[in-house]
Amino acid sequence: MDTAFAQRRRRDLVIAAVFAAISALVPLFVKDVYVQNIMVLTLMYAALSQSWNILSGYCGQISLGHALYFGLGAYTTALLFTKFGVLPWFGMLGGGLISAAVAMALGYPCFRLRGHYFVIATIVIAETGLLLFQNWDWAGAALGIDIPVRGDSWLKFQFTRSKLPYFYFALVLACIAWFVTWWLEDSKWGYWWRAVKDNPDAAESLGVVVFNSKMGAAAVSAFLTAIGGSFYAQFVSYIDPESVMGFQFSLLMALPAVLGGIGTLWGPVLGAVILIPLTELTRSFIGGSGRGVDLIVYGTLIVLISLARPEGLVGLFSLRRKEAAR
Amino acid sequence: MTALLETRGIWQRFGGLVANSDVSISVGRGEIVGLIGPNGAGKSTLFNLIAGVYTPTQGSIIFDGEDVTRMSAAERCERGIGRTFQVVKSFETMTVIDNVIVGALIRTTVMREARRKAHEVLEFCGLGARANVLASQLIPSEKRRLEVARALATEPKLLLLDEVLTGLTPIEAQTGVELVRKVRTTGITVLMVEHVMEIVMPLVDRAIVLDLGKVLVEGKPTDVVRDPKVISAYLGDRHAVSA
Amino acid sequence: MTAETIIQSLASGLLMGLLYGLIAAGLALIFGLMDVVNFAHGEFLMIAMYATFFLFAFFAIDPLLSAPLVAAALFVFGAVVYLLIVRFAVRAKANAGMVQIFSTFGLAIVMRGLAQYFFTPDYRSITHSWLGGKTISVAGIFLPVPQLFGALTAIAAFVALYFFINRTDFGRALEATREDAGAVALVGIDKNRVFALGWGLGAALVGLAGAIMAIFFYIYPDVGASFALIAYVTVALGGFGSVFGAFAGGLLVGLVEATTALILPPSLKSVGIYAVYLLVVFIRPRGLFGSL
Repeated sequence: MDTAFAQRRRRDLVIAAVFAAISALVPLFVKDVYVQNIMVLTLMYAALSQSWNILSGYCGQISLGHALYFGLGAYTTALLFTKFGVLPWFGMLGGGLISAAVAMALGYPCFRLRGHYFVIATIVIAETGLLLFQNWDWAGAALGIDIPVRGDSWLKFQFTRSKLPYFYFALVLACIAWFVTWWLEDSKWGYWWRAVKDNPDAAESLGVVVFNSKMGAAAVSAFLTAIGGSFYAQFVSYIDPESVMGFQFSLLMALPAVLGGIGTLWGPVLGAVILIPLTELTRSFIGGSGRGVDLIVYGTLIVLISLARPEGLVGLFSLRRKEAAR
Repeated sequence: MTALLETRGIWQRFGGLVANSDVSISVGRGEIVGLIGPNGAGKSTLFNLIAGVYTPTQGSIIFDGEDVTRMSAAERCERGIGRTFQVVKSFETMTVIDNVIVGALIRTTVMREARRKAHEVLEFCGLGARANVLASQLIPSEKRRLEVARALATEPKLLLLDEVLTGLTPIEAQTGVELVRKVRTTGITVLMVEHVMEIVMPLVDRAIVLDLGKVLVEGKPTDVVRDPKVISAYLGDRHAVSA
Repeated sequence: MTAETIIQSLASGLLMGLLYGLIAAGLALIFGLMDVVNFAHGEFLMIAMYATFFLFAFFAIDPLLSAPLVAAALFVFGAVVYLLIVRFAVRAKANAGMVQIFSTFGLAIVMRGLAQYFFTPDYRSITHSWLGGKTISVAGIFLPVPQLFGALTAIAAFVALYFFINRTDFGRALEATREDAGAVALVGIDKNRVFALGWGLGAALVGLAGAIMAIFFYIYPDVGASFALIAYVTVALGGFGSVFGAFAGGLLVGLVEATTALILPPSLKSVGIYAVYLLVVFIRPRGLFGSL
């Protein structure tokens, strides 16, 4: 029994490595900038959704306010760079740490809340963050921050001539998010998160300190999400509150996981690979009058998946043995 | 030899209702003690107080020489109190083995260790063959055994069993009784709340009878069932054992 | 800032609060009935507003007259949403919480997309309606007539709801189904019928609010989003499951919003409400009057 389990773990790792390797080669063949852009976004959302999945999927604390951490990451990087000349690499780390700290500080009161109250609290907190940044003059208020781009530089993590470096960074980020999930899945943390999600009372009787467990999930999730936000700031080189802390980001981080399989290892990746290109393509193919078509498409997908296949599309590919369904 | 568990002057009030009044009991190391009494006697309340679900309005609980009165259920588990739930609370979305691994992880963080331990415990409880089945697919008696297995994985010194034998077929109940005896042979002390007198009396070393929130009588099972106070407390209850 | 301005603001806030209460009551009704939060509630409001707008633009029917029509249409819509979507959502065994949240959320996204596609993102407004833009003076305070009308309608709706829930058979069936959906089947009450009608009623309430709000608010595809959040906060404040808690919550929210607008810049108007929500649930995790 143990060997079968270890085999499955190894197989997941191998599949991930193969996918990563193939993905790494794709930009060498696909030169169209528009397509490359979609690929970068897909990888970014795969990473973001995977991070979201840690708190909301594995630990079962559904957050619709993760845009807060995304925005904090973006703003930390942007502010540290434009105001103090701190390189984005450090800004990224700073953003991650700040977000983790904020997540834990918020968790302290929030994790006492049950189900719907918690979800609404997450939405409300993110909206408050958005409003605060919109009125914070030092941070550019509603006008946001423009990150000056003066040519290519790995040090300053900005590139003008090609999207490839961003692509590879996003790929690495997606791999890291996946790997962290893979590693935590077979660890005390992973098991205790799933116990907390399934039956917190039973978990407590087995020695699980439910509160600490949630805090840990929140911190890891927020940290990784913030790194995604920092990346995004460098990618688009202009941010404002609406564009990095808006509710649409919170949704877009959650939907790939919901589509692919919430609380699973491969769900967020699968969901991102389907949802993001679909969204981008519907938006552009139907032209100007197609406003809202992307919403109709992914909204419908979400309703269908929730009703027909709540365990997500991952269930279609029997990558896991049925008995070990999560 | 000091008792493993002692409750001293426990009072539990819920608003205006007094569920336990001045309850002082003790459980010695290696004993199997039965906590019995008619409905509404306050057994479940006392059980949950010992398990750490509530903090007593008054009184203290001493476990293995330490005052655990203000400790949470998780802290008590860490100190060595394990429990099952009357209405089974298995992790339905996880497999049987994963359920037990959750328990084992309080004693080790090495996954291989935890997995090995979990397999051992499952074998001990007769669930070895069902290790990779989803908990939701077990039959009720198996789920009961899973409850016990999970608690055992936490390496408790004291195992609290909440009506683990109620509602089972005679054969299942016998298997259950044997499992409890097996547990005691490993050195674990057992405190069990039960209703089914015929099955529990031959099993326990000592019986504590609660009625109306107070300790009515305690002693050897054979003495307790003949005690007129106990019989009249159960009068009208169809589980009363005839003298 | 004079005492007069403050009283003016608070009075307006109270009126808006009653309207918020009306919106939230529908949400609370549905939740109380079957433990499902309708995350598309804001979009229900949105289509009610659009319906009112189009009835006015194409048929010159004043919102005052079309309000009952719109409420009735929303009633049907709500029942249909239950029958086609929610009925299946509540059957989920795996990931039940996620399913309930995202099935209605998905619907909200689809509705917003459809509105953007068919109606374009342009802002619309109803000009020259009977009540639009008028104010009346009550004891020296100037109150906007549409909001006053809305508040009065909300109160009337409350009273009607009270009688409906406590005095009619159907109202009692609703309460019974709320208590024990399984048991009511035994007495011949069709659970699905009750739920569908409950959703219809909840939607009708927000439809009524939408029709009136269309008189004095801009109408655009995303208008539901901001009011939805206020509605969730209102219901959570009053305690999920308590319809009358929703009204109390609405009054509180209206007042807080008005007070915040007096102190902070207009763009931060909602911060007060959010802060109050967080404060209330942190201290009383079940809301002010909630039991669930």
